[in-house]
Amino acid sequence: MNPVLRAEQLSWHADGKQILNDVSFLLQPGKMLGLIGPNGAGKSSLLRCLYRYVQPDSGKILLNNKEIKSIDHKTFAQMVAVVLQDTPTEMHSTVQQIVATGLTPYKGLFQGNNKEDNDAIQSALCQVGLADKADASFSHLSGGEKQRALIARAIVQRPSLLILDEPTNHLDIRYQIQILELVRSLGITVVTSIHDLNLASALCDELLLLADGRCVAAGSADEVLTEARISQVFGVCCQVAKHPQHGKPLIHYYYGYTAAEHRGEIANDAP
Amino acid sequence: MMRRDNQARTVLWRSVGWSGLLLLLLVTPLLASSFGAAQIGVFDVAQLLWHHLVDAEQSSSINARIIWELRLPRVLLAFTAGAGLALSGFVLQSVTRNPLADPYLFGISSGASFGAVLVVTLAGTSVVAGLSLPTGAFLGACLSVLLVLSLSGQRVTTQVERMLLSGVAVSFMFGALTSLLLYFSSPLAAQSLLFWTMGSFAQAKWAELWLPMGIVAIALALVIGQKRQLLAMQGGDETAHTLGVRVVKLRLLMLLLCSLITATLVAHCGGIGFVGLMVPHVVRLLVPQRQSIMLTALVGGLFMVWVDVLARSALPTQELPVGVITSALGSVFFLFVLRKRGQ
Repeated sequence: MNPVLRAEQLSWHADGKQILNDVSFLLQPGKMLGLIGPNGAGKSSLLRCLYRYVQPDSGKILLNNKEIKSIDHKTFAQMVAVVLQDTPTEMHSTVQQIVATGLTPYKGLFQGNNKEDNDAIQSALCQVGLADKADASFSHLSGGEKQRALIARAIVQRPSLLILDEPTNHLDIRYQIQILELVRSLGITVVTSIHDLNLASALCDELLLLADGRCVAAGSADEVLTEARISQVFGVCCQVAKHPQHGKPLIHYYYGYTAAEHRGEIANDAP
Repeated sequence: MMRRDNQARTVLWRSVGWSGLLLLLLVTPLLASSFGAAQIGVFDVAQLLWHHLVDAEQSSSINARIIWELRLPRVLLAFTAGAGLALSGFVLQSVTRNPLADPYLFGISSGASFGAVLVVTLAGTSVVAGLSLPTGAFLGACLSVLLVLSLSGQRVTTQVERMLLSGVAVSFMFGALTSLLLYFSSPLAAQSLLFWTMGSFAQAKWAELWLPMGIVAIALALVIGQKRQLLAMQGGDETAHTLGVRVVKLRLLMLLLCSLITATLVAHCGGIGFVGLMVPHVVRLLVPQRQSIMLTALVGGLFMVWVDVLARSALPTQELPVGVITSALGSVFFLFVLRKRGQ
């Protein structure tokens, strides 16, 4: 099977600092890739390269075997939908209008929404469980509802690849699970960055662990999330067990670092 | 079922609203033309216009000439100016995502004042020979826009901030230059500055009306054509980029368009503050969640016509400058918006 997405030796720097260093990976259709790593590891930058907001200095990215540099703006937006972390607080639009902007790459000047478009918007809203909020103002939604509205917009965009940047940020645990399971249920190929390692372990098909802009490990959760690697990359001690429900790695963290640092028992990078 | 009821009600309200607006649009020119120093009734106005338009009869009575040559072009210019400023305000607030953005944000008004004052000060010298005041104002406005554009750069990440900040800087620079010129110039120049900073529709003429009307109409069509992209821009540059919008290009295009509208209007009727800032917010408050560009422009036009009526008839012997009224209303409104945002 041909991979949907293939990144080869991506490097990118900004303000004299190397942000991404020789990152390569590939992603099969229908799979969900979780991007994990500490703050500043380059997760968002890698995603930005993938949706062309920044140009990598070297390396190439192939989407359906086509180099993304050569795809024109509108076509690219028809292939890749993105759900970003921060949405402006000053949004006057209704949920329905926000979802409708997902049609932008399909429309020319003066082209309004036809019946099919409206049906697509309605069904996307139903899919994310916001049908009753269609006419509500976007800014009045809760954090979880906002994320779901943005996912509905992505559904309307009919992409072959969905990219999400920290979709579970600021959400309580129920919504974190709900959002990721919703994304999984869409059947689209997904790349998402996630902070919570247990969530990533439970819900992603594959993981890519970044540290200082380099790919440290890639593969299934079992392969990536080992005790040694977590302590090496994140600087915390932990114990990895099997989750009682799905059998994937479940991480138990150990606490008490401040006290330990005071006593000088832990060096800067933990064992 | 309830949703359908709601929808039916929304449709009903929408049609009531639009018919009300249409009626207002039809009645306003007649009503507005009847106000002024000479008392002319609404029906007389209607009759005179009917004769003029349908019978093509050139009536030479004083009243007919007052209506046809003075008041009607004035009403139309006011409407055009209001619609154009409101449109620019809506567009700029969308593309900069700054709720306080306004057509004069880019120093257009102070550039125009500078151009006008320069023409007056240097009148008679060979440098500006043949330049009229409006042309001078237009050139000054264009100069300020070019300055702001050249300072704002091509990078998506910094474009908006640079634009806003350089607008402020350019504005102050032209303000200082204007003050300097005035300091060394005649009372005549001072008076012309007064006009350019406060605005008036008193000089409206049929012969000059086509330019602002044409530009505002074309701009309105262009903006409505890009409505989808503008709504996408409200969600942030990065989001708009992922929706296939060419963010930097669209923003520059829209900025140029707004500058063209504003520069033309400033050249014809002076700088009228706060309309571009205020009307989009008022429309949003009155009709939340519609984001109608057409509605914003129409409300802006109607508002301006009635402000002009107020300017003509508030004092028995004298006209008030339009800009004074809009700024007075606008500043109070500004505080109101801030208060609402603070809550």
